[in-house]
Amino acid sequence: MTPGPFTAAERVIGAVTCLGCGCACDDIDVVVRGGAITDARNACTLGLAWFGDGCLPARVRVSGVDATLEAALGAAERLLTRSTRPLVYLAPDLSCEAQREGVAIADVLRAALDSTTSTGAMASVLAAQERGRASATLGQVKNFADVLVFWGVDPSLRYPRYLSRYAVEPSGLRTSEGRRSRTVIAVDIGGSRGPADADLRITLAGDDEVATLTALTANVSADGRRQPQDGPWALARELTPALLAGRYVTFVADAEAEVRFPDRDPGRSAALIAMTQALNARTRCALSLLRAGGNCSGADAVLTWQTGYPAAIDFARGYPRYRPYDGTALARLTRSDVDAALILGSSGLMPAEILAPLAQVPCAVIGPRASDGPLARCDVAIDTGVAGIHEGGTAIRMDDVPLPLRPSVDGFAAAADVARGLRQLVANARRAVPR
Amino acid sequence: MSRMRITGGTVYDPANGVDGDVRDICIDSGRIVADVPADSSKIDARGMVVMAGGVDVHSHVASGSVNLARRLVAEERSRDAVPAPDFASSHDSVPRSGTGGTVPSTFTTGYRYAGLGYTTVFDAAVAPLSARLSHAEFDDTPIVDGGFFVLMGNDEYLLRLIGNDERERAREYAAWLLGAAGGYAIKIVNPGGIERWKQGDRRPFAGLDAPIGVSGVTPRAILETLVDAGNALGLPHPAHIHCNNLGIAGNVETTIESMRAVVGRRAHFTHLQFHSYGAAKGGVRCSGARELIEYVNTHPETSGDVGQVMFGNATTLSADGPVEYLLHKSTGRKWVNVDIELETGCGIVPFSYKEQAAVSALQWVVGLELFLLSADPWRVVLSTDHPNGGSFMAYPELIRLLMDRTYRADRLKTVNQKLLDGSALADGISREYTLREIAIVTRAGPARLLGLRDKGHLGVGADADVTVYMPDSGGDWSRMFSTPRYVVKGGTLVVEEGQLRQAPGGRRLHVRPGHDAGIEHGLKDFFDRFGTVSFENYSVGALRDAPCAVRDRS
Repeated sequence: MTPGPFTAAERVIGAVTCLGCGCACDDIDVVVRGGAITDARNACTLGLAWFGDGCLPARVRVSGVDATLEAALGAAERLLTRSTRPLVYLAPDLSCEAQREGVAIADVLRAALDSTTSTGAMASVLAAQERGRASATLGQVKNFADVLVFWGVDPSLRYPRYLSRYAVEPSGLRTSEGRRSRTVIAVDIGGSRGPADADLRITLAGDDEVATLTALTANVSADGRRQPQDGPWALARELTPALLAGRYVTFVADAEAEVRFPDRDPGRSAALIAMTQALNARTRCALSLLRAGGNCSGADAVLTWQTGYPAAIDFARGYPRYRPYDGTALARLTRSDVDAALILGSSGLMPAEILAPLAQVPCAVIGPRASDGPLARCDVAIDTGVAGIHEGGTAIRMDDVPLPLRPSVDGFAAAADVARGLRQLVANARRAVPR
Repeated sequence: MSRMRITGGTVYDPANGVDGDVRDICIDSGRIVADVPADSSKIDARGMVVMAGGVDVHSHVASGSVNLARRLVAEERSRDAVPAPDFASSHDSVPRSGTGGTVPSTFTTGYRYAGLGYTTVFDAAVAPLSARLSHAEFDDTPIVDGGFFVLMGNDEYLLRLIGNDERERAREYAAWLLGAAGGYAIKIVNPGGIERWKQGDRRPFAGLDAPIGVSGVTPRAILETLVDAGNALGLPHPAHIHCNNLGIAGNVETTIESMRAVVGRRAHFTHLQFHSYGAAKGGVRCSGARELIEYVNTHPETSGDVGQVMFGNATTLSADGPVEYLLHKSTGRKWVNVDIELETGCGIVPFSYKEQAAVSALQWVVGLELFLLSADPWRVVLSTDHPNGGSFMAYPELIRLLMDRTYRADRLKTVNQKLLDGSALADGISREYTLREIAIVTRAGPARLLGLRDKGHLGVGADADVTVYMPDSGGDWSRMFSTPRYVVKGGTLVVEEGQLRQAPGGRRLHVRPGHDAGIEHGLKDFFDRFGTVSFENYSVGALRDAPCAVRDRS
């Protein structure tokens, strides 16, 4: 908890959870000196960039002019309650506590509610709702996975410590020799390569991805029928023995991939799920889906427990409706179906295709760098700290395991507190004018 | 908090020997008191039935697994959208909308439980790794007081201690784990069986003395260790046990053997219905209820809840991953599995119980037989294992089945009879539960089994959780129990004239038994080697509500 040596002016906060990616490594020692972060020990390059020096603007602005928090919250409340088609958007870097307030505001406003999930991992979310999913927490992978299949992804790029903490290198209960206890299979799909350190490498054309998964599903389902010999079937036949040799097979895939690879077959998520479920008839198998940082998995969880749905929700009728196709923030903004928006979280981490149309919409932004981020010219900007750096609370790892957040730098407004204040104002306004 | 007098109601308070007497119930500062001043507010309960608030001993409402189930069955909620109730928001309580179905959203869960007159609910299966999620979900489940049971029966560290014959350390570890998770009781699910599933061992259950994998630990040793730990630690609720072999033909023998393994020691066996099947010719299931209940009736240290199956949609969700896999394979329905590191598993499969399906009909009958053959309602209490056997919203219908033999007989005629040969219900059971017995199986009994001294009764000093029902003019017990006229929670009138009026937050019921601090030393090393969450981040820390008392250690 308190690694030394350190000088009197230096503080070290141990066991800090990093939200730089969805791995949510919680073994970071953050070193703070003179109110600034000088080091984040154990953190990867992504993590170091995410922690930064912990210094942020702390401004409150209404129409570009400095204002009190009270005045800004009042302006935000008026902007939202006078709107007829408001949108509440949960950007990254919020604690679950702040996300809960965001959902409450959307409910009271009868707003549309969405998060970065709808432009990130939505295909895999929808596929899992259709089929379920055979999965595991990351520690199960660490302790049991003797065959690892990296399906078109090299985690070292966007999830740098996944391989060292969870999947390839660590030793565990049934993987006591670490890397040597495991067979690593890299499946390169189009331009998406698996990790360099692989025992077996298979290359697929992007067009063959779903067909290969389907062939694998048929192979492991082992109904004994004669199967075709060509293309995907040949690849599947090459892979099948390696899979069946595993006692605990884990497929690793990037759930966020469809943003970066819009040409991916939309059936891939469902095919991956079906394949990994089917393999459980022969051995044990889990699908580990990589998710982005900033507690986006927390948004899915909070929205689900409060409304029943993980993203793309419409409260217009006074109750939540799930509109994953036509009701996402992007879909609404594209057809100009938003007349005011509340953005909670880091606007700088929002997808560009959402930021662009938001420039035309009256906006209140509550989050880190609201006042100098991409939406700095919004009507109301309230700077807050970053959950996990300046603000405590709870976050959820990519495998749905909750973790505490430990703030290391103080002196910044907590997004959860500011959002709670706004929720109370909005609720009072609604009470004054019964709908 | 206001003073209140509920006047002239017919009171059923079996814990205090009150059986249908007309009397007033007085409330002050959230507690039942002997009297209140004349100017206190009044509820006219003349002609109505007054009971303590309902207590659910076994439900699934607030956990990571429940939330995965919510996400999985999204399609059923579009049919059950729930607008925000019409009550004034206060500083910290805004009326919230939600969705229902078999696994409702959190606010809707709280409102609906309260709307049935239930004021205390326990989630029966929480992995300590995700305990924070349960607390967060309970924070968003208004009105009801809530707590949860902590899954331990397949815990890697515990199995190691048992394997090393370190049962005292195992007990201390259980105490530590309860406190770390902020849980209320020890839960055992399919002892050792989930660990075998995670290891890929698909062999059928081979008895309580068959070792699990390499550790040499047996299901019997797990049962003994954790039952003894619960009792020795003085926990208010003993170990809560979901036996091996759930759902399998002939499993009644396993269940009784498990009960015998801890004979003479307090233990609670849950959703008995799913564990009370005999094996008829050809290996098909038949009712084993008579055999099971005979054991329970003659062993006062043994308690259970029924886990009644109700016809209609359900969502099966359980730490018992291998059972859910079998259900997925046999039904073809969609399936979630999560192997939870070092602790337990999780499986989810949507399901429908149909009158015309032979197994569903048998399950329905077995549950009713357990209720109707039980000699002691204090020890065999009501549950549907929500949402596994059916929703908690089906409790009023279940009460009607217990109280109205004519209705029951009519319903029995409509179900598939194929597996009902020799069943006690098919042979005819005339018993009808009385209102006193309903009060026992829905509040007084669960509260006593849970060790909640201030709940489940209306004696002076009890929590002011009170439900007032209006008897149905047509004698329909289901109608009476589905829409209480008034519900008071902790002294606050939350339901008035059948409408939700307020939704204060509930309390968290948890224990923090002391433990030998020496246990933490080896644990940190174990976390570093095999875990993925830092030891420092594992415990949920202090909770807002003070822990419930534990008895002195025995």
